[in-house]
Amino acid sequence: MWSFAKLVFLFVLATVFHWAFASIFSYWGLSVNILLAFAAAFCAVLKPAFGYPVAFICGLFLDFFGTKLFGNNAFTFTVCACIVYGLSERFDFEAVFPQVVTVFGLVFLAGVLNSLLFLWFTSAAMWPGFWGLLGGALISAFFAPAVFWLVRRTLGKGAVCRQG
Amino acid sequence: MLLHRKSPKKQVSPGMRRRFLWPLSFLLLSFLLMILPLEGVVASVKAVLAYVFIPQVRLAHGTAKYAENVHQTVRELLDAHRENRALKQEIEMTKLLASQAEAILDENGRLTEILHLNPAKRWTGVWAKVAYREPTQWNTVIIDKGSRDGIRERSAVISMEQGKEGLAGVVVEVTENTSKVLLVRDEDFSAAVYLERGQEEGLLVGNGPRPVRIKYIPLLTRVEKGDKVFTAATSSIFPAGILVGEVSGVRENEDFQTALTVHVEPLVHSASVKEVFVILDGGRK
Repeated sequence: MWSFAKLVFLFVLATVFHWAFASIFSYWGLSVNILLAFAAAFCAVLKPAFGYPVAFICGLFLDFFGTKLFGNNAFTFTVCACIVYGLSERFDFEAVFPQVVTVFGLVFLAGVLNSLLFLWFTSAAMWPGFWGLLGGALISAFFAPAVFWLVRRTLGKGAVCRQG
Repeated sequence: MLLHRKSPKKQVSPGMRRRFLWPLSFLLLSFLLMILPLEGVVASVKAVLAYVFIPQVRLAHGTAKYAENVHQTVRELLDAHRENRALKQEIEMTKLLASQAEAILDENGRLTEILHLNPAKRWTGVWAKVAYREPTQWNTVIIDKGSRDGIRERSAVISMEQGKEGLAGVVVEVTENTSKVLLVRDEDFSAAVYLERGQEEGLLVGNGPRPVRIKYIPLLTRVEKGDKVFTAATSSIFPAGILVGEVSGVRENEDFQTALTVHVEPLVHSASVKEVFVILDGGRK
């Protein structure tokens, strides 16, 4: 129960950070995705039974603001969760380098995948621009170690965690 | 004889099945959400989610807004710090200028004494705040200093406007702690003044809402718009050399005219007077 409460708290915190970062960096046209960094950190720490739903809900949170398509972010975040769980067998996500590289790749991939889904389902382009996406991915990757540290530190070795 | 060894059949463990079941179910669910029309089920899902997410969005938005304000406050603090440094430098410069002025004044005093000239006046007085303003009479104000502070009737009152000191009015009534000041625009106000250009003297009189006038300026005097007007040494109340205002026009082409009437725009505006300096002892030190 306590672990679940901490998880909810982290989710709320993640949305607050995402909102703040998205508002600040949108001035420079950068599509920063801190929520995806949080989702990746959740998947690196949590058991799949908790990691996938949390990633899905994170995506659903972003879909909530969409007007033309609903579910694309949930889909993208779930794909990213699959990737993180796949990579966690080969990489040690306690080290900084895999965290940075994974978040950078995921943010870039999510941007591309989202745009493709948008194009497929609505026939409308939602491409944030190559440099905007690259810059956003770099910034998200820069903050990834802090995000992973926060998630690991808060959730510790609770019942919902893989190392629990 | 060849022995055919039967290869063991691959067994899928329940853990493995669950491992694929989770992502698959969420991927299918999100795919379903994407293909459904936005008006029907999706709108209902969004409405349900609104109950969960809207407080969260408010919190996020509020926090981001607060962070923006922090950024602005920090910027203001930095600006204030920069301004403070500049002001400190300015104060140092002013101190330097004041000490230079003091030296020049001493020198001036010595020379005045040697040449047997009439010594220049130096103003002394008290600063006062406008405490009350008659709503119906914008040409008089009550200030928060009175006889206890040395103010007497007919004391000259000046005020700062656009960084310059200008004539504001004259004290007409004094109580222990307050004084009433008649401002320049009042019809009962008058002062001896001179025009900067030709040094011609005249009598400045208030004219209510209309422009202040200088009467009795000789007819052939050359007066131009923008000429500065100062209090004259012949004034019994005001020390000489206080800036009154600028010429705003001259009344011309009047029959049987024996003198010019010059219109003046006072430097100190009645409505903007907030702090005044009351000159004590007729400005003599």
